[in-house]
Amino acid sequence: MAAIASIRMPGMVLLALVATGAALAAPRRDYLITGAKPDRLFVIDAAARTIKSEWSIPGANDLVATIVPSPDGRIAYVLVNKMESISGIDLDTGREVFRADLSTPGERVKCMFGFDVTPDGRELIVYELPVKLGLSEYQVEDTRFAVFDTAAGLDARPVRQFPAPRRIHTVLARKDGKSFFAFGFDLYEFDRVSGRQLGERGIRNWTYAQHSIPDLLAFWPASEPTGVFSTPVYSSVPAADGKGEVPKTALLTLDLTSGKLDYHDFEDTAALIFSTVLSPDRSEAFGVYSQLSRIDTRSNALAKRVDLDHTYYSVAVSTDGKEVYAAGAMCDVTVFDPVTLGRRANLKLPGCPDQSLASLRVVRR
Amino acid sequence: MITRTRSSLMHLLAACIASLAAGAPGQGAAAAAVPTPPGPELLRGRCGGCHLQSGGDHFARISDIRKTPEGWLMTIVRMQHLHQAQLSAEERDTLVRYLADTQGLAPAETAPARYALERRPNVKDLQLPGDLQTMCARCHSAARIALQRRDAQDWLKHVHWHLAQWPTIEYQQNARDRLWWQKATTEVPQELGKLFPLHSQAWADWSQRPHADLSGTWLVHGHEPGQGDYWGVATIARTGDDEYRQTYALDTAAGEHVSGESKVILYTGFEWRGSGTRAAREVHEVYALSEDGGSLSGRWFEAAHPEIGADWQAVRAGPAQLLAVNPSALRTGAAARVIVLGSGLDGAVSFGPGTHSRVLERTAHSLSVEVRVDAAATPGYRQVSVGRLSAGQLFAVYDKVTRLEVSPAFAIARLGGGRIDPVAAQFDALAYTDLAGADGVTAVRLGYLPVRWSVQPYDQQARAAQDEKFAGRIDGTGRFLPAAAGPNPQRKFSGNNAGDLAVEASLEDMAPAVTGKAHLIVTVQRWNNPPIY
Repeated sequence: MAAIASIRMPGMVLLALVATGAALAAPRRDYLITGAKPDRLFVIDAAARTIKSEWSIPGANDLVATIVPSPDGRIAYVLVNKMESISGIDLDTGREVFRADLSTPGERVKCMFGFDVTPDGRELIVYELPVKLGLSEYQVEDTRFAVFDTAAGLDARPVRQFPAPRRIHTVLARKDGKSFFAFGFDLYEFDRVSGRQLGERGIRNWTYAQHSIPDLLAFWPASEPTGVFSTPVYSSVPAADGKGEVPKTALLTLDLTSGKLDYHDFEDTAALIFSTVLSPDRSEAFGVYSQLSRIDTRSNALAKRVDLDHTYYSVAVSTDGKEVYAAGAMCDVTVFDPVTLGRRANLKLPGCPDQSLASLRVVRR
Repeated sequence: MITRTRSSLMHLLAACIASLAAGAPGQGAAAAAVPTPPGPELLRGRCGGCHLQSGGDHFARISDIRKTPEGWLMTIVRMQHLHQAQLSAEERDTLVRYLADTQGLAPAETAPARYALERRPNVKDLQLPGDLQTMCARCHSAARIALQRRDAQDWLKHVHWHLAQWPTIEYQQNARDRLWWQKATTEVPQELGKLFPLHSQAWADWSQRPHADLSGTWLVHGHEPGQGDYWGVATIARTGDDEYRQTYALDTAAGEHVSGESKVILYTGFEWRGSGTRAAREVHEVYALSEDGGSLSGRWFEAAHPEIGADWQAVRAGPAQLLAVNPSALRTGAAARVIVLGSGLDGAVSFGPGTHSRVLERTAHSLSVEVRVDAAATPGYRQVSVGRLSAGQLFAVYDKVTRLEVSPAFAIARLGGGRIDPVAAQFDALAYTDLAGADGVTAVRLGYLPVRWSVQPYDQQARAAQDEKFAGRIDGTGRFLPAAAGPNPQRKFSGNNAGDLAVEASLEDMAPAVTGKAHLIVTVQRWNNPPIY
């Protein structure tokens, strides 16, 4: 209750709600989770436009990158410490409840942003790049997946490891909990328990008629609220007049329940987009960088685009689809109208810390 | 952590670059009381704990590499910074000298890439063959690779080290479009081992040669972009094994007298690294001694701003020779005092047809001559002769400038701010008169003339973004001074002050005015500034 009492709401004091007993029946609401250098983790009450909590991540070592919320929205697993540690922070208390330091004496291990929690909340699947540290030389070792028990506390060691392709950048657990996806050169699917590769679908080796080898590099793994991951993909097609190439931006989607992979061009590339998110009804997608774009996913066309006040890396949408949020890159979170893409609110993070690559996630509690 | 890492590495590099050039004692008198152990002893004591010694004098990794003095310095600084190698400044200096002398590069091996050692701005980099350009030179200058020697086996270890240290490499643009690691561990080390192998005849020969003694008097001339030509005499005195003190007195085209001095170490028998003051400027000198020991050439630059500096050419005084004439051209009908630099400048002086010469002053190594050019003199190069010496293209007569060549034609300047200084771009305008003749057009080089400098947006996009307003300004000497770095709320997207500019030089005492153009990109800071990019 003490933690709940710290929630600030617009125009009222929560204690009044507690007095009437209404707090226990308070409707669920969206909280935005973002991080910033050197060690900050923010919990933002989206509707109230207030920072509910600002936590310090121990041993973050000036990096707060990928953020993966637990399925119940109570813990944020955060990639920190030169990409060598994942810290689980209790969002209500700020306490570190999980810690996996990937490196060991003699082996330096980094995670290139790819990890996810299983739908049952029990395991983290982490993509690892290990290096053996010799006396006078380093030996790059084969990449692998490591699985951690989220109940292992502050000295978590892998419970399973299995081989992984190189150059994975996104890991996403399948909703049935039996397997997980990994984006790299192509899209791979692995059995969660045995690590056996279940499938491989073309990305680099896609068969999109006339399209060049695409470029895809996604460091923002959000799939809420739809359970469908989306990301821009860049490629080119031969120009109609036969002279040169026309750059194309496609929206790639991966349904984490059905496993359906889809991609469609929606424009001749006219803007850089770092991350995208689908609206709750999946009829639209929003993408950010220095512009905010709305993409009609039924007609596969750009519906609207507006210039932003600065670059943002990470985009999110409210659970009800009535607001779009942009964060990352700098030190604020901005709220947009999903129809007009007009700016509704702006929240400066205290001290203007650098969010850089930190994921913007939405948890509903 | 990243911030601290960069900061301390830069501090270390900055401190030791000075000592590399200076041959100066590192830190404090206390250290000087204890003689620095010689190179082999330092290798065993300070490096051998990790770089295990085997088969006599072989130290793992170290003995499998050859590098320039800067290359060895960067390696040792990295060992201090990342691996806590314990070395005093004196010990580091000793090791750099020992390794550069015993495992260096021969003059011919450094020749194609000397611009990198000389910190020359805005030069076109070497092109590595095939995919090496993308595999290596998308981050480094190609020169940095070309200034190292290893066999394929050690190049492979170098590749492992790269990905271990920077795991993002295989995720970057121009890496993620290929099977980077596969290529990096197979083709790349093999190709590098063939191109830049550990063992070479050039090094086998050069490493056996005794080091020359540079003591004596040298004649110097050069050109400082934006400031003009200079010339004079340098005296080099030996102060120890491969150590020298240089003093010099120069005159400049602007009529200034400049004196300077430097402390010098001669690495590898030819790599001159000096550090000192030139007038009030703290400068470093990176010169190469010619294989015959008769000339020094290279570049000096400001310690804090390596992009600001100048060519330096020096030859031993003695052999009769005509080296330079300044100014190197006079307009028809004009009269001026002209300086001739050389040795053995005895006898009659002539600047060729249509000119009249009167010697005003003779010194051991220069003549001051009043030269008058007839109004009707024919434009073109003149044979300058002094006694029996003569030179064909040191001086020209012109009636008009027909062309201004702005150099560099393409330049980069960098915004500054915080810990990173801005990087200026210095432009220069070289005048020509193009003479039509029976054999076509002859370009007659007239030298560097004072011009009016301005910048404009390079294209429509730059105009719309008002790049000329935000990116910085150009001064009267052709030096572009970039603006401050960081997001600028006054610009679209709060963009930084980057810009795409056309630089124009205009010679307005010609009618119509003669202009020349160059292209300038003003871009973001470079966060990592090692001695070799």
